[in-house]
Amino acid sequence: MRDIKIQVNDLSLYYGEKKALKEISMQIPANKVTALIGPSGCGKSTFLRCINRMNDLIPSVKITGEMLVEGVDIYDKNVDVVNIRKKIGMVFQKSNPFPKSIYENVAYGPRINGLKDKTQLDEIVETSLRQAAIWDEFKDRLDDSALGLSGGQQQRLCIARTLAVSPDIILMDEPASALDPISTSKIEELVHQLKENYTIIIVTHNMQQAARTSDHTAFFYMGELIEMGKTNAIFTKPEKKQTEDYITGRFG
Amino acid sequence: MTHFEMELEKLKNVIIKIGTLAVSQVGESVKALLFEPIEGKEVKKTEIKIDKLDVKIDEICQSIFALQQPVASDLRFIMASMQISNEIERIGDLAVSVIKRAKNIKEKHDLITKFEIGDLAKEVELITAKTNECLSTLDEKTIAEILTLNKNIKTKGDEIIDHIIDEMKSHSKVVVSGTNLVIALKHLERISDHCSNVAEYVYFMVNAKIIKHEKHDDLNINLDK
Repeated sequence: MRDIKIQVNDLSLYYGEKKALKEISMQIPANKVTALIGPSGCGKSTFLRCINRMNDLIPSVKITGEMLVEGVDIYDKNVDVVNIRKKIGMVFQKSNPFPKSIYENVAYGPRINGLKDKTQLDEIVETSLRQAAIWDEFKDRLDDSALGLSGGQQQRLCIARTLAVSPDIILMDEPASALDPISTSKIEELVHQLKENYTIIIVTHNMQQAARTSDHTAFFYMGELIEMGKTNAIFTKPEKKQTEDYITGRFG
Repeated sequence: MTHFEMELEKLKNVIIKIGTLAVSQVGESVKALLFEPIEGKEVKKTEIKIDKLDVKIDEICQSIFALQQPVASDLRFIMASMQISNEIERIGDLAVSVIKRAKNIKEKHDLITKFEIGDLAKEVELITAKTNECLSTLDEKTIAEILTLNKNIKTKGDEIIDHIIDEMKSHSKVVVSGTNLVIALKHLERISDHCSNVAEYVYFMVNAKIIKHEKHDDLNINLDK
């Protein structure tokens, strides 16, 4: 892991009195896909949301430790959270397009950032849709409502919308869990292509998806990072018994 | 026990079953080589059983791969099972070949005694039994014993074959029996090799380390985790 994008040092998160993440330390490499796996309630989604400070919105949350993105602690008082979220995009389990046209969904972020030039916006929309591998499907219907698309198309549109603001990092919280196998396969292929230009962190309950899409896998259990390693090693020879039990379905 | 665990248990039982049949076939082949020709019907029946179990193992593994997507130790167990089944099926075939060769060895008793083939044949029986044992115990000490035994069998077998060839050079009347004996001994050596391969797959299953094609010169080092 020579090129580290995110360095996490002793990160703990409390929901009130409850400690939901316990001294997590890890390194997330740049331009790779890192999968976070673990049973429900293990803290993987909480951890994912720490990476773009989404947990700030929950009043009872307290965070200690460091989350260094490109060497800068994003929890430092002087850091502007809006800038963080520009750099770190997020795709959620349920696709959430705006009730607008396909074009406007993708153009929304750049517009919010102050871009008004139509030619530039057109270019960003096309590039983002191409990167999300849906340009050919959508190019002749850019003015159609995004709400009329299938679940799989909506999710890929949401990925295009994320790409439109040129993030460095993309967080994905079970992006394919509500999709059929063909749409899932398209999302997985997309993840594979996107890692060339982005650092991707994906939370998934689907072991095979983690195995297929990621370069590194981190296994969480009860708020602790039990093991992190190359995906090939985790799925063929995990170091820890808890990891082995979880991935082979013998947990608990 | 989950449905998946039951499938794995079923596979394990079939592997042990095919291993036990191979032990029986090798026992018969040694009997045929050292003593008198044996009745071939039972051997043929066992050979057919081994072939059927070999196919059954492939089918179970295929089904587990397709339906359960095994990982980690489960994945290694399924991968090793397919290979082990193949090795054991070959052991069964070779045992039958030894029995066939044994029929064409005249004045067998003299040759067996002269070249001290009894000890070698017993070692081949032993390595086969130990191989079957390690399929259920997965014991690393047994694996090491198998790998050592295989080396000894190979050395001893080659020495005996050299002596038989010398004998054939000076006494042409033993050429036919001698040739059959050499081929039978080569089959026994191959049986031992297959046992060693099985042991290597068991080692892989347990330790996730591939040791096939290694020399195993220093077993203590090579078999360290």
